[in-house]
Amino acid sequence: MAGGNFDAPETGGKDKKKTKAKGVHIDMTPMVDVIMLLLTFFMLTTTLSAPQLMKISLPKGDVKDKVKVDMGNVLFVRVSDKGNIYFSNGHSDGSESPMEKTDIKNVAKQLESIYAQNNNLLLLLKFDRKMKYSVMSDIFDEISRAKIEKRYAFLKMEPADIEKINAAGG
Amino acid sequence: MAIKKVRDIRKASINIDMTPMVDVIMLLLTFFMLTATFKAAESEAVEVSLPQSIYSDPDNKMRENDVMTLSLTKGGDVFVDVDNYKVREKVFGDQFAIGVYHPDSTSKSEVELKGTVGNKEVKRKIVLLNKASFEKALVDCKTVLRSVEGNPKAEFQVVIKGDKETDYGIVEDLMDSMHETNNKLFSLVTIIKADKKE
Repeated sequence: MAGGNFDAPETGGKDKKKTKAKGVHIDMTPMVDVIMLLLTFFMLTTTLSAPQLMKISLPKGDVKDKVKVDMGNVLFVRVSDKGNIYFSNGHSDGSESPMEKTDIKNVAKQLESIYAQNNNLLLLLKFDRKMKYSVMSDIFDEISRAKIEKRYAFLKMEPADIEKINAAGG
Repeated sequence: MAIKKVRDIRKASINIDMTPMVDVIMLLLTFFMLTATFKAAESEAVEVSLPQSIYSDPDNKMRENDVMTLSLTKGGDVFVDVDNYKVREKVFGDQFAIGVYHPDSTSKSEVELKGTVGNKEVKRKIVLLNKASFEKALVDCKTVLRSVEGNPKAEFQVVIKGDKETDYGIVEDLMDSMHETNNKLFSLVTIIKADKKE
């Protein structure tokens, strides 16, 4: 690497005359090399945008104060361990309509059409404990994408639910 | 212009003045130096393979500080990490420790048995937690954060980084513990993928 080249001053000590400052030529090549290395380093290590998040909120308050919900305003969303999604509408008398299987890609559109008929719906989410997390993330993705009021609650999957799902094909 | 004499065309060296290029490079360098944030290697995050999602909420971004990351691995472990080393020190006893909770009582924690998550070794000190000590850790982290920052209303942003293959049962247990400890709001981290126009 080339160092700085200084033009030699005219003779040493004896002269009291000022040495004429000749032009100083500094070769900047190594400096540019270092700058390029630093730049490459920072370009590779910087994170520019913070990762985006999907918000989930659990119900406020204790489990003790249950909110009264008209079962007619409820949509059950059950997902089996294989990732099959079943919708079923609840009715005010406590009964349920038969389950309809839905594909993950249609969830957003289906939710929108169901909510168009009744936009006071509460989604009751029941996921199988052996279901994969990626399915939950996909479902929340679809719920967030659907242009609906996002009201949901998590419920535990009961043996009765598992039977229903197995009857519908798992 | 005077008519030049024809002379030998010798290859003359081409002198490009590089000054403006160096200026631009310096500007880029300054930009990146100011926007890079560094994390200590000792506090590296646990690797999980995140699921993908299309929806992205522009109002909901990860905070730069005071974030509690709960990483759920394929093996069913929940790694509890906060980005404040003082809180880690007070709650776990070591500045670079990470808490591990294995909710499923029927299986053993992968990191406890092998010290790895998948193929990658976990280099940080591991503090094993059961349900009670996990919930206590969640509460302690918040209390310590409030005392360390001097702000009685300070809260962590709780962020869940789940592996695609994690069983939902772990998430359910985790949400129960979160509900018990009054952490009602949290967010899932995913890899944003572009929406394919249908």
